[in-house]
Amino acid sequence: MAAFYIALWGLAALLGATAVGALVWAIRRGEFEQLREASMSIFDDEEPVGEVTDRFPRN
Amino acid sequence: MASTAETIPPPAPEERERLTRIQIDRSCRQTVVWYYASAVFWLLAGSALALIASIKMHSPEFLADQEWLTFGRARPAHLAAMIYGWGSMAGVGTLLWLQARLTRTRLPFPTLLPATAVIWNLTVAFGMIAILAGYSTSIEWIEIPPATAVLFGFCIAVIIAASVRMFRQRESKHTYVSQWYLFGAIFWFPLLYVSAQIFLHTPAAAGAVKAAANWWFAHNVLGLWFTPIGLATVYYLIPKVIGRPVHSYHLSLLGFWTLAIFYNWAGTHHLIGGPLPAWLITVGIVGSMMMFVPVVTVAVNHHLTMVGHFHYLKHSPTLRFVVYGAMCYTAVSFQGSLQSLRSVNEVSHFTHYTIAHAHLGVYAFFTMVMFGAIYYVAPRLLNAEWHSAGWIRAHFWSTAVGMAVYWLGLTWAGWEQGRMMNDPRVPFLDIVKFTVPWLWSRSAAGVLMTIGHLSFAWLFWNILRQRGAYLPGPTLLVRKGEPAGAAAGGGE
Amino acid sequence: MNRAWMLALGVFATIVASVTGLVLLPDRQLRATQPVVDEDRGVTLPAGYFGDAEAGRKVYMDLGCIYCHTQQVRPEGFGADIERGWGMRRSVARDYIYDEPPLMGTMRTGPDLMNIGARQPSAQWHYLHLYQPRITSPGSIMPPHRFLFEVRHSAEGLPEDAVRVPDEFARRKPEWIVPRDRARWLVAYLLSLDHNYEVPEAR
Repeated sequence: MAAFYIALWGLAALLGATAVGALVWAIRRGEFEQLREASMSIFDDEEPVGEVTDRFPRN
Repeated sequence: MASTAETIPPPAPEERERLTRIQIDRSCRQTVVWYYASAVFWLLAGSALALIASIKMHSPEFLADQEWLTFGRARPAHLAAMIYGWGSMAGVGTLLWLQARLTRTRLPFPTLLPATAVIWNLTVAFGMIAILAGYSTSIEWIEIPPATAVLFGFCIAVIIAASVRMFRQRESKHTYVSQWYLFGAIFWFPLLYVSAQIFLHTPAAAGAVKAAANWWFAHNVLGLWFTPIGLATVYYLIPKVIGRPVHSYHLSLLGFWTLAIFYNWAGTHHLIGGPLPAWLITVGIVGSMMMFVPVVTVAVNHHLTMVGHFHYLKHSPTLRFVVYGAMCYTAVSFQGSLQSLRSVNEVSHFTHYTIAHAHLGVYAFFTMVMFGAIYYVAPRLLNAEWHSAGWIRAHFWSTAVGMAVYWLGLTWAGWEQGRMMNDPRVPFLDIVKFTVPWLWSRSAAGVLMTIGHLSFAWLFWNILRQRGAYLPGPTLLVRKGEPAGAAAGGGE
Repeated sequence: MNRAWMLALGVFATIVASVTGLVLLPDRQLRATQPVVDEDRGVTLPAGYFGDAEAGRKVYMDLGCIYCHTQQVRPEGFGADIERGWGMRRSVARDYIYDEPPLMGTMRTGPDLMNIGARQPSAQWHYLHLYQPRITSPGSIMPPHRFLFEVRHSAEGLPEDAVRVPDEFARRKPEWIVPRDRARWLVAYLLSLDHNYEVPEAR
């Protein structure tokens, strides 16, 4: 039974450490810069920011 | 269709290489329309089965001599039609269109992808026939026999191939938040489905652990297949309709990864009080409570994007359905987190309360968002306007009100049912008697919702036949400087 | 977040982690569970399903009984399952080692059936209840399963397990129901549902 709990807590610790590690790695790599550009990527000249693109049909 | 090219000004010189939205949408047309049309069909079939099952609950003599329609078969057939028919097919259609738009590439495999719609339909149909004939696996959310379900695997493989191809050909280095969610969904779903089949039908898991595998699967279908597709849709359509970018991209990032991490662990909250180790149940409760993080993140993000623009709800059918859905996502998730607490679960487990909760998620969130998506996408693929604002309003109000009646009636009934069940002095049949009028209210709500579905099917049939105003371009509305109505080219 | 492989890795890792924690680890913990031995009576419990009861389990599954009935008794103090007489103790994983798949259910539109064989040991009661639930349980909303029975109106040549239908429920008096094979198997299965034996983990 003890071996089982070691496995369980071990897995939890490993997962937690991996998540933190991934976060630190991503920040260092610059993955969190230039986010604003990404949020604007769905707009362009045809459908710019500020233009509403849906309405009820006319009838 | 030929006249389309003449009415659109040619792209500016530096953009000549770039595909226009029209070209992207046109490449999606056959596949997405086939998926959407199939989804609408299953919505109607699933609604018929829903009404039959609902009526049987308060009037058990209804169609009682038809063995194939007995409640224990009608109910899982309804679920299969809605989950694998309506929900998944509307979801796949939307997922493919969103990915084409976001990568700004054409949808690939113009023969194979539409073929997957046909195969998917056949799989759902065989699965439902199997259930009604008595070959259900009797495992919730995965009743379709494995031999039939294997066909889903082929379809998903093609869909994944298409997604990867579009992603690799994308022109922009930036990936939009919706794309992360869609990527998640497209990989999580097959991993879930295949793992579940292995655990449930082989000795890989035994006895009570099969129940843990069952609910790991079922809960994750909600959280890692439907939720990401729904959220991807909301994240794209709210900004697109109101013309404003998402409020905080940082929050989007946080929301996605916390969903990916925490949702995965919530599944065993379906087994609270059950015959599994206490640590396993507790882990599920913790995962469920941690879900507050991604849910609040997403809610704040969407709300702050919408703030100051709520009046557009009057003018946009898509926005109405999508915002209703997004708000219900927040509501159902909060409710779910609370339901996973042992003290609440002690009352609500095994009652109609859970059914109301399930429909708040799959219907009030996911289905309403899918309606919003179809309202946006279909005109752009078919170059026609929806033929009647009146029918759209009828659809919205009957489903919105129907769902509210459904949830209120069963939540109240379920809570009382649970309280009485925990009082050993209350005879069981008295509890049953108490719930009956509320089961009638659920049937009434179901009728209202079905009226909405029929309205929607009528609208979809008409737009397929391009009965509405002809649209020369992808955007329905007035371009800057043009008077209103100029964009609605020919037709009335 | 612009690299597909990073996204794919994260997506894959999160699901592998959860399946490990929620399925693989519990399976490791519970895989070796054995039935208990009742030395006085010389039986091992749970006994598993054989013959008619095994066939009846499949009928339970094909008719979808799980959508209204549970098979899990909650612990004392958490709900009132034991006070209602649904079992002498809570259900434990050991009770399900021969249940492929376990039929725990998620709704109690009807009562829990984990120990229905102990609570209601009369086959005749079950036949009447399946044929027309309101005969035995007034106000019940359970669907009638008439298709599991043949109906006879004469006492001539009636098999032993035929049951007389009370006159007020008979379409034509006198009326007997003769269970078909699936009814007999289903009732054999229901009568086998008895987990009122002691286990060390639930004293």
